[in-house]
Amino acid sequence: MAAPVPPGAPRPGANARQQSPHPNFNPNFQTNPNSLADNMQNMNLNRPHSMPNSGPRPSPFGQPPPFPQSSVTAGFPVASPPMSRPGPPPGMVGRPAVIPAGPLQSTLPANVPPGRPVGLPVSHPPPFGSRPPPASLSSSTGGAVLPSSAFPSSGVSSAAAAPPPPVGAGALPGAPQFPPPAIVSQPPVGPPPSMMSARAPAQAPTMRSVLGSSAASSPQTPPLPSASSPFPAMTQARPPPPGSPYGPQTWSMQPQQGTQPSHIPGSTHAQPPRMFGMPQQALPNQAMTNIPPALGQPGAPMSGSSKIDPNQIPRPIPNATPIVYETRHGNSANPPPPATSDYIVRDTGNCSPRYMRCTINQIPCTGDLLTTSAMQLALLVQPMSLPHPSEDPIQVVDFGESGPVRCSRCKGYINPFMKFIDQGRKFICNLCGFTDDTPRDYHCNLGPDGRRRDADERPELCRGTVEFVASKEYMVRDPMPAVYFFLIDVSMNAVQTGATAAACSAINQVISDLPEGTRTQVGIATFDSTIHFYNLKRALQQPLMLIVPDIQDVYTPLETDVIVQLSECRQHLELLLENIPTMFQTSTTAESCFGAAIKAAFLAMKSTGGKLLVFQSVLPSVGIGALSSREAEGRTNISASEKEAHKLLQPADKILKTMAIEFAEYQVCVDVFVTTQTYVDIASISVIPRTTGGQVYYYYPFSAVSDPAKLYNDLRWNITRPQGFEAVMRVRCSQGIQVQDYSGNFCKRIPTDVDLAGIDCDKCILVTLKHDDKLQDGSECGFQCALLYTTVYGQRRIRVTNLSLPCTNMLSNLFRSADLDTQFTCFLKQAAIEIPTCPLLQVRDHVTNLCINILLSYRKFCATVSSTGQLILPEALKLLPLYTLALIKSRGLRNDGRIDDRSFWFNYVSSLSTPLAIPLVYPRMFAIHNVDTKDGDESVLPPTIPLSSEHVCDDGIYLLENGEDALIYFGSSVDSSILQQLFGFTSVDDVPTQFVMQQFSNPLSKNFNDVVNVIRQQRCSYLRFALCKKGDPSGMAFVSCMVEDKNANGPSYVEFLVHIHRQIQMKMS
Amino acid sequence: MSEMANTDPEGIDAVRMTWNVWPRTKVEASACVIPLAVSIAPIRSHPDIPTLPYAPLRCKSCSSALNAFARVDFTAKIWICPFCYQRNHFPPHYAMISETNLPCELYPQYTTVQYSLQANPDPNNPSNVPQLPPVFVFVLDTCMIEEELGFVKSAMKQALGLLPEHALVGFVSFGTQAHVHELGFSDISKVYVFRGNKEISKEQVLEQLGLGSAGRRPTAGYPKGLQNGHSNTGVNRFLLPASDCEYTLNSLLDELQTDQWPVQPGNRASRCTGVALSVATGLLGACMPGTGARIIALVGGPCTEGPGTIVSKDLSEPVRSHKDLDKDAAPYFKKAVRFYDSLAKQLVSQGHVLDLFASALDQVGVAEMKVAVERTGGLVVLAESFGHSVFKGSFRRMFKDGEQSLGLCFNGLLEINCSKDIKIQGVIGPCTSLEKKGPNVSDTVIGEGSTSAWKMCGLDKSTCLTVLFDISSTERSNAPGTANSQLYLQFLTSYQDPEGKRMLRVTTLTRQWVDSAVSTEELVHGFDQEAAAVVMARVTSLKMEMEDVFDATRWLDRNLIRVCSKFGEYRKDDASSFTLNPCFSLFPQFMFNLRRSQFVQVFNNSPDETAYFRMLLNRENITNAAVMIQPSLISYSFNSLPQPALLDVASISADRILLLDAYFSIVIFHGMTIAQWRNMGYQSQPEHQAFSQLLQAPHVDAQMIIQERFPVPRLVVCDQHGSQARFLLAKLNPSATYNNSIDMTAGSDIIFTDDVSLQIFFEHLQKLAVQS
Repeated sequence: MAAPVPPGAPRPGANARQQSPHPNFNPNFQTNPNSLADNMQNMNLNRPHSMPNSGPRPSPFGQPPPFPQSSVTAGFPVASPPMSRPGPPPGMVGRPAVIPAGPLQSTLPANVPPGRPVGLPVSHPPPFGSRPPPASLSSSTGGAVLPSSAFPSSGVSSAAAAPPPPVGAGALPGAPQFPPPAIVSQPPVGPPPSMMSARAPAQAPTMRSVLGSSAASSPQTPPLPSASSPFPAMTQARPPPPGSPYGPQTWSMQPQQGTQPSHIPGSTHAQPPRMFGMPQQALPNQAMTNIPPALGQPGAPMSGSSKIDPNQIPRPIPNATPIVYETRHGNSANPPPPATSDYIVRDTGNCSPRYMRCTINQIPCTGDLLTTSAMQLALLVQPMSLPHPSEDPIQVVDFGESGPVRCSRCKGYINPFMKFIDQGRKFICNLCGFTDDTPRDYHCNLGPDGRRRDADERPELCRGTVEFVASKEYMVRDPMPAVYFFLIDVSMNAVQTGATAAACSAINQVISDLPEGTRTQVGIATFDSTIHFYNLKRALQQPLMLIVPDIQDVYTPLETDVIVQLSECRQHLELLLENIPTMFQTSTTAESCFGAAIKAAFLAMKSTGGKLLVFQSVLPSVGIGALSSREAEGRTNISASEKEAHKLLQPADKILKTMAIEFAEYQVCVDVFVTTQTYVDIASISVIPRTTGGQVYYYYPFSAVSDPAKLYNDLRWNITRPQGFEAVMRVRCSQGIQVQDYSGNFCKRIPTDVDLAGIDCDKCILVTLKHDDKLQDGSECGFQCALLYTTVYGQRRIRVTNLSLPCTNMLSNLFRSADLDTQFTCFLKQAAIEIPTCPLLQVRDHVTNLCINILLSYRKFCATVSSTGQLILPEALKLLPLYTLALIKSRGLRNDGRIDDRSFWFNYVSSLSTPLAIPLVYPRMFAIHNVDTKDGDESVLPPTIPLSSEHVCDDGIYLLENGEDALIYFGSSVDSSILQQLFGFTSVDDVPTQFVMQQFSNPLSKNFNDVVNVIRQQRCSYLRFALCKKGDPSGMAFVSCMVEDKNANGPSYVEFLVHIHRQIQMKMS
Repeated sequence: MSEMANTDPEGIDAVRMTWNVWPRTKVEASACVIPLAVSIAPIRSHPDIPTLPYAPLRCKSCSSALNAFARVDFTAKIWICPFCYQRNHFPPHYAMISETNLPCELYPQYTTVQYSLQANPDPNNPSNVPQLPPVFVFVLDTCMIEEELGFVKSAMKQALGLLPEHALVGFVSFGTQAHVHELGFSDISKVYVFRGNKEISKEQVLEQLGLGSAGRRPTAGYPKGLQNGHSNTGVNRFLLPASDCEYTLNSLLDELQTDQWPVQPGNRASRCTGVALSVATGLLGACMPGTGARIIALVGGPCTEGPGTIVSKDLSEPVRSHKDLDKDAAPYFKKAVRFYDSLAKQLVSQGHVLDLFASALDQVGVAEMKVAVERTGGLVVLAESFGHSVFKGSFRRMFKDGEQSLGLCFNGLLEINCSKDIKIQGVIGPCTSLEKKGPNVSDTVIGEGSTSAWKMCGLDKSTCLTVLFDISSTERSNAPGTANSQLYLQFLTSYQDPEGKRMLRVTTLTRQWVDSAVSTEELVHGFDQEAAAVVMARVTSLKMEMEDVFDATRWLDRNLIRVCSKFGEYRKDDASSFTLNPCFSLFPQFMFNLRRSQFVQVFNNSPDETAYFRMLLNRENITNAAVMIQPSLISYSFNSLPQPALLDVASISADRILLLDAYFSIVIFHGMTIAQWRNMGYQSQPEHQAFSQLLQAPHVDAQMIIQERFPVPRLVVCDQHGSQARFLLAKLNPSATYNNSIDMTAGSDIIFTDDVSLQIFFEHLQKLAVQS
């Protein structure tokens, strides 16, 4: 299971794998180390440590995670913690007060004061008197205050702003009236909240330097990829990463780096010492951003806004080095670091936030309180998530025949929060409160602290996440074998565009990555207007093609031999895959019977279940579930299309849905790789993967030049990533809370469980919660996710993930403990669910209103600032407006997208994990024309640039990536030598339409490749590259990603803040 | 039997009639008891038949062909049609006609002539005749044990080698599903798989094989594309010239496995014979409309899947028996027959043949498939195993060339013209009514009726049809006016010969009308008792199949008594006075044996066997059919030449060898003494060479019979008192049974039966015939 290796660059090896090579490990194949994958291994039971891929890594690094995916954090915006600002030294972030109102820049340092002492969480800051709007600067406790328009914008510094900050200038010319300093922060008022005030401009310079130089410290320098051709690269072994990446850096470096202690989520207080776990958080930190009052005023519409210094409004700040996070500290839950940051988890009772995280890290005691806050209460569950390589593997507990100890009422699994009483003879379920007798052979006396004496030796009593070996009663049949069925479109179009050849070649290369052993079975079929199965039985001289011509009522042509043990058919399979493209070369069949083909393949797999990987290139036009070109029909009938546009995003009919449910029932998980140049009605097709726990991969417009490498890597990751089959998942909650709904890629037959024909490390499920009773303040609310699944090696396991969070009656606690990434992901997923059913305008309004209502609630009940002229943002959620804006402008919510693009977008979102959600809407942008000018810092990634055209120069080349796609943008006057060095052509006019990464022998190119490889690794995605140049239609794609700019899809960031502010003002009054 | 002496009783015309002089009226005809019937082998070859390279002249009114019985006015260049008396002018190319310069068809001895037709004559290059390649689609069952499959594979390979090079070959195998093998795809073996449990229409087959409208040629005719080497029809994906695909097919057969779908214990294999046949039919329909093609089905068991199912998969349920059919306890039967009936219709409309080679110990559903085989004129062979000589010999024979050739022809069309008062009731035999109504079509229908034209998708040299006629009484009033004392019948058979040439054969017969009311003398002399027996057998079989409650024995008895009453000479109520004219003398014995035969006593056989026997009864010539009814017995002994023996248990003797030819089986029966001698090995001692020759003689004769016969009969060699002897004993007249064996002589034998013997039968017959 190696992760997909980017062609150009091998993934850094993960340390994990080195551990014990899997017996089967074949060095030749596995060369590329994929750290990610490796990581998995450690943890993942599925793959015994064997990971083959382990690259050549030298010695396992000790703790410092070698390549953490986390390295990611460095440098990008997305992930960034809510920190308000630029990265002043650590302490500052949350800190209120200190910032002098005074002149901006200079103040910077001031901010710094480390941890505030503030004792209590401030839920209700004392009301401040009226803040003098302008001059006084709004300070809010804890909140970052944006200067009102009136103020010179100087106050705000943007975090990563690359370009020389305007800030430096101090006051912008714009607004004379107000005193320049407006910026920022107020002295803290009173005890309460520490505020982040909008930050001091001054920093900007520092930041820059900081960022520039140190920027992200990503330890690893990936070896150079050989590059030119994608595939060869994969095989290469990658050189060991240079020195130990993280080790040194971790803490010590930070201060210097200037990047804030990044880890600290803004919301949580930053502790000077970076340990996450520290309980202290008591500090309330509310970061408030003040928006100049002017904005709000009707009279002065936008003028005001223009005066805000765009560089000073909240932006994400990446953090550079991984932090160690203990899930519980003392006896209470420790709020998790931002999902996008780099962290190493120590499971001390609660699960790693990778597996499960909650939108709010304290649970409101009542539904009313939650309603008042306007926030969502939901869990994002990613039960198989890829752990950091330095984390301890999940422990496996075998209770033998009797199976794991469970509550006899709610069936909750034994976990660290179950309380043993009566000398250990009984235990109280933390979920339902029922008291059970301890099974005799599980009895243990209690220690003086009331815990069982053996609690620390038993993983199930001290770890948030454990795996139980499932006993017979968890099996309705023997665990299924690992069955992989490949289904390839060979219709004329597919063959001619090279999609068929790409699919065959990808499969052929990936065969060696399939799990070894007799349990692995494969099958293959192709289809055009008929379905062609292949008998791969070894006895035959050559594979026999079996055609199923009845595509209205399909069947499987053989009971056996269509799916064969891999070890028995490898040669046949390889031969066949080489032949398929030529065999159909002269085919003139334009039709494609996708629905019938998957049905037929399903029938072949029905007895076992397994993974069905479909490569589809054209609109399914015949057979079961045939689709019509609805998009075109929509275009011709314009009036209808406007009104009913979202209908095109719904499945055309129920046929595929019905099929999908049947597939799920028989444990067939379908992934669809759409390699097309036309409309294929993803809205309809995607129903199948969504329901069966699979996913859609979309290559549009398919290019035979640049896409095969990504296709291969996607397929490889798909197969090699940690995953399980025939899974059932249920989330249980403490009394008072119940699960309202699940959403994600699965099939739900009964309300309490989700059925997952396939589950893998990338799939995330949103679990919304609701109150059905009151919770006790001061108690804890427990959540338990149990996933029963079969590993690829045929073991039946139950992965139990526990999270226990404190309950609170204080609204301010909720805001303080809000988890921005999770909240936003929740928004995003809910918006995605709405897209097919509501007009776009409504969805956008809804999203905006969600954001406004939260801010309104905060403003109304928590803010210590009373001036209406200020937009006050809770520190934890200070980036919410930016992300909301980005969401509104995202591909899925824009008006101008192709139907398929939007369908893909919201399907992609449905299973998207939290760490990838933010980059999707707020991508990272890097300048790459100067990647060779490093500051001696070890981080590979250059600093991120805000998504604003102001930061894009005409002579620059920029890389923008969202975890799935990557755009390379060429300014109109890029230096030709840079072009030559990086891409091999000399003029922007020569920018090709299709792109294959190459590495040339110059440092610029090498660094660029390194950057790309680091990103790939972080994202577990090969990235689909597109080249864009200014003034060209291709450039529009890039421009539309500049979410902070005003464009046809929405206002600029500043305007949006003004809009929000005005809305809040209206609602307040 | 007087005709016995005549080695070729059928003559140039290949015709036998029950009555060679016809009564004038319907009343008289029905008084004759035995129906007016003509048995004709429409394309039996005969050295004297001339082949004419032109098309016949046709009467412009009744479209009968010019024949030797036409009256010709040489001066006026006019001929008068003997059927309708229409005067026809000779066309210009007959201008040279004169009394001394007659075209062949007018020579009186050429009552049968053959025309070689050219559908698309190419005047410039007559030699460049587009030949229609024959098409063979093999439909092979794979639900059988390896050994059987091995036998059938090797038989198929052999057959492939024997096929003419230009013949097109297709291959369908089936088990749970039907596989159409695409032979023209070189990259990989390619198979179209059709589900076994779903009925599929021809259109669906075409569509699914990718031969939709684009690949189909709407007009019947020649697949020009193919002939010109173009591949515009898609035909050559599935049907390839034997020379091109022999290698492919051989390797395909080598790899062919028995059906891979699992069979549950206690169950029959799932076998979709019905779907496989529909698919093959559809394939042919698409590829070769209008040309001759045959589907050769090799079936190793009953259809248990999909349409045409004859029995459930559960082994505890036996395949239907006659008893079940009688009691209506065969739940699948009717449905299956309906299915095969529709398949037959489709095949007939396409002009294609279904041949059935069934080899299994149990039944395979011949009874249900009979309709499709018989209507298309297909061959049928029933054997116990694909390794058995009955199958192997017959199958090889089918493809043999030259002397042994069956002369398989395609796309036959039979038309019958007859004189005014004669009506056609129908035809019994391998053909299908084309529902072509006309004035000479009778209202009462027997067999394939209501028509004057029949389709024979497949026919061969030995194919024989029985045409039943009726006399129209309504025309009677006119009859006296016409001086005509002769009646005329004309049979026109057009067909595609094995070389692909279009042929037309015209047989014109004349017979005399007699007024039997006056005297039966002429009538009696015109009686052909052998033909009559066979026709009675055929009619009886037909009635047994068609009529729900039909007591065949009784019906035969009644008719026999009526015949005897009418034609016998006796004093009323005096049984001892009864005598029968020699022309009738054998008839009662035939009837006696018919009553005992497998055709009437069906309960000894399975429905499949019965269907098989009847199909052959209907398609064989009179002589062979008579053997089926009444086997011939030849005795070999030291004292005399081989000589016919009475079909009686009394013929058994310890020192004789008997050779029984019961058509379907040939039994060589060694008397006890002979068997002992043989066991002691005397035949290998030089001094007993005569004994060796005696032993050899019946084998030589048996081989001669076997060689000529299709299907190959089963050869049983047995000894007196051996278990196999039952094959002989069952056919013998039980003149000696355990009831009357007191006077048994040494070496003779008895039969354990309660059946009446011929003698007792005769006694009763005489008694009843003379009753007033």
